[in-house]
Amino acid sequence: MKIIACYSNKGGVGKTATAVNLAHALAARGQRVLLCDLDPQGASGFYFRVKPSKKLKDARFFQDVARFTAAIRASDFDRLDILPANMSFRDFDVFLSRMKNRRSRLKQALASVGGDYDVIVLDCPPNISTLSENVFRAADAVLVPVIPTTLSERSFDQLLAFFRDHGLPRKKILALFSMAQGAKRLHGETMQRMRAAQGKRFLDVVLPFSTEIEKMGQHRAPVATFARSRALAEAYDRLAQEVLARL
Amino acid sequence: MNTESGPLFIVAGDLRGLLADAAPGKRRLVAAGPGATVSFALCDTFDGEIALTGRLLLCCDGRLDLIGPDGCEASQPGMPPGFLPEMPGGAVTDALSGIVSPLRRVLELGSGQLLHQRFALLDDEEKTRARCDLTVLEPDSDRAVTLVRLEPLRGYRRDCDRLVSHLRGIVGAAPLGARATAARLFPDAAGYDPKPAVPFAPDESVFKATGDVIAAHLPVARANEPGILADLDSEFLHDYRVALRKIRSVLSLFWGVYTPKETEKLKARFAALMAETGRLRDLDVYLIERDHYLRMVPEGLRPGLDLLFDGFARDRAAAHRRLTRHLRSAGYGKEMDRLSRLFAKPGKHLAKGSEADRPVRDYARALIWARYRKVRKIAASIDATTPDERVHALRIQCKKLRYLMEFFAPLYGEKPMKRLIRSLKILQENLGAFNDSVVQQEALENVLSDRAGKQGAQQLEIARSLGALLTVLHQRQTAERARVMATFAAFDVPATRAGFRALFAAEGGR
Repeated sequence: MKIIACYSNKGGVGKTATAVNLAHALAARGQRVLLCDLDPQGASGFYFRVKPSKKLKDARFFQDVARFTAAIRASDFDRLDILPANMSFRDFDVFLSRMKNRRSRLKQALASVGGDYDVIVLDCPPNISTLSENVFRAADAVLVPVIPTTLSERSFDQLLAFFRDHGLPRKKILALFSMAQGAKRLHGETMQRMRAAQGKRFLDVVLPFSTEIEKMGQHRAPVATFARSRALAEAYDRLAQEVLARL
Repeated sequence: MNTESGPLFIVAGDLRGLLADAAPGKRRLVAAGPGATVSFALCDTFDGEIALTGRLLLCCDGRLDLIGPDGCEASQPGMPPGFLPEMPGGAVTDALSGIVSPLRRVLELGSGQLLHQRFALLDDEEKTRARCDLTVLEPDSDRAVTLVRLEPLRGYRRDCDRLVSHLRGIVGAAPLGARATAARLFPDAAGYDPKPAVPFAPDESVFKATGDVIAAHLPVARANEPGILADLDSEFLHDYRVALRKIRSVLSLFWGVYTPKETEKLKARFAALMAETGRLRDLDVYLIERDHYLRMVPEGLRPGLDLLFDGFARDRAAAHRRLTRHLRSAGYGKEMDRLSRLFAKPGKHLAKGSEADRPVRDYARALIWARYRKVRKIAASIDATTPDERVHALRIQCKKLRYLMEFFAPLYGEKPMKRLIRSLKILQENLGAFNDSVVQQEALENVLSDRAGKQGAQQLEIARSLGALLTVLHQRQTAERARVMATFAAFDVPATRAGFRALFAAEGGR
């Protein structure tokens, strides 16, 4: 089982959209996927029409494996389940370490209800200061969408510095250009410059800017299920392929 | 993952029309995706071995699907099956191997249209809360059934439960079992029951009960006629003979129901019907046992047996032609019709004997008790040196006891009777194996003496192989004979004795 933390220390970069569409694309490729909605401002649960469960706000939640597994909801798509909870990061640490531990009660409880997942996608909140470094440690990959602008470049450098300062392996970082507009000179130049500096950190796939992302809110569904133009859906599928290859 | 295998239930009629836009609670039930229509065939053995286990075997789209109480249990590409040992390997073949007798041909019971449609249960935000999968089997519009399979989604178990009770509410009637489903779809092909239940009222007369048992078994014999004529498998003739033999044993075991003269006349008529079938059945048994016999002799002697069995196969074809002529003859048809009419209204046609008006429960109790005591008496006289004739006598008494118990089982409650029959069965298996080896030796010795006049190398080879086979059969006979006392002791335990006494001994019975 692999854990992909979808993270950005800067807001509005398409992080939740990436988590939602990546999870959907992975499931469509045959992976058994659990998407965890951890961002109180995010809306991955909303995009799958899954209502948040009130019970999950209970602090003692993670001490109770049965209630955790009971909180998981099937999406409308095969092989893709959602954990719609908003949980605290302290709980989240425990959650991750238990998911990684093959013998933990949590893993066994999940396996017993047919929920032994191939991939867990985390839609993480954007705040670096409260983000436990344990989350980065537990994740197999930290997927970071980057809009090719100067400001994003700065945020990305800050993230790299955070990893360096905390002794975290930077090779876990998988960055990808998001909301890229080929017609903008600035975007093109930024991408060129960042790839030159951090080539190994960046995935080949580039998510193009598209109004389809905004329409996800209307349709409340992953882009691939409604978009007329296939370009964005295909980009997410390539993203899924590339991420799987890197894991 | 997000779909767990859900419960399957089957209801009469086409449920699709009733479901469209039905609204359980605040949810909406809508068709999901386009429906599909293909042709299907329902397959089973003549005696419904697959349906008896609660399953349906469907052949559609060049595929075999075994549908069980939890949905599709196994699937494999292929056409309507045939004999299990001849089916190509696959998940369905594997699953059927514990269900279908290798002697039974899996037949196409009938065919029709299969319509498939999925439905989704949506909440107020259009989120799918449960899915259900409808498969309508439709030989024609009057006899449709719908297979409903629910697909609960993780985290929405309650919605699924609500949907189930909603669907059951729409349908009203209780769900159908596999047998009832097959019988509804193809009533002509799927209604066969080799052991028809004949209910008695405890105080009804023996005369009525006897007539009912015979009247119930005549159609069983007749139902097997088409399968015998078409030579579908050996079990049609076997069941035909079992049904007639049951009638004959009723006539001989239930004494005093008819006048002695009447009884003798009836016995003779049923014996005459049976006599026509004996030769074909004997040859069937040899051929069924062919591989088994071959394995019993050393490899070098097998070609001789193969020659012999090839001869049996030729004889069988001739015997089948003769039986076909008999079953198709005007005389046979008339005789069967006459017997059916006779037992449809026995009071009108048959002369009552001395016991005819006794209440059946009282009569049955006395018969079974007397027979049971006879079994014990003979068994008690058997030791290692007793001649084989006594063992045969014991076997025959056990068989009669078993028939009586099975005929009258409805009078005594399923459970206690089943337990007693089960312990008797174990004794009978030992005695049966002993008898089979004796009968087979006699039959093969007859083959040998029939061939005594023939010359040639082939005859010598056959004779040598038969000699080896006879030796093995004799060893088997000796081994089974040696077990008889121990198996009887196992049958004659206090619990079983008490069981017989409780059910069948007269008040203050000995």
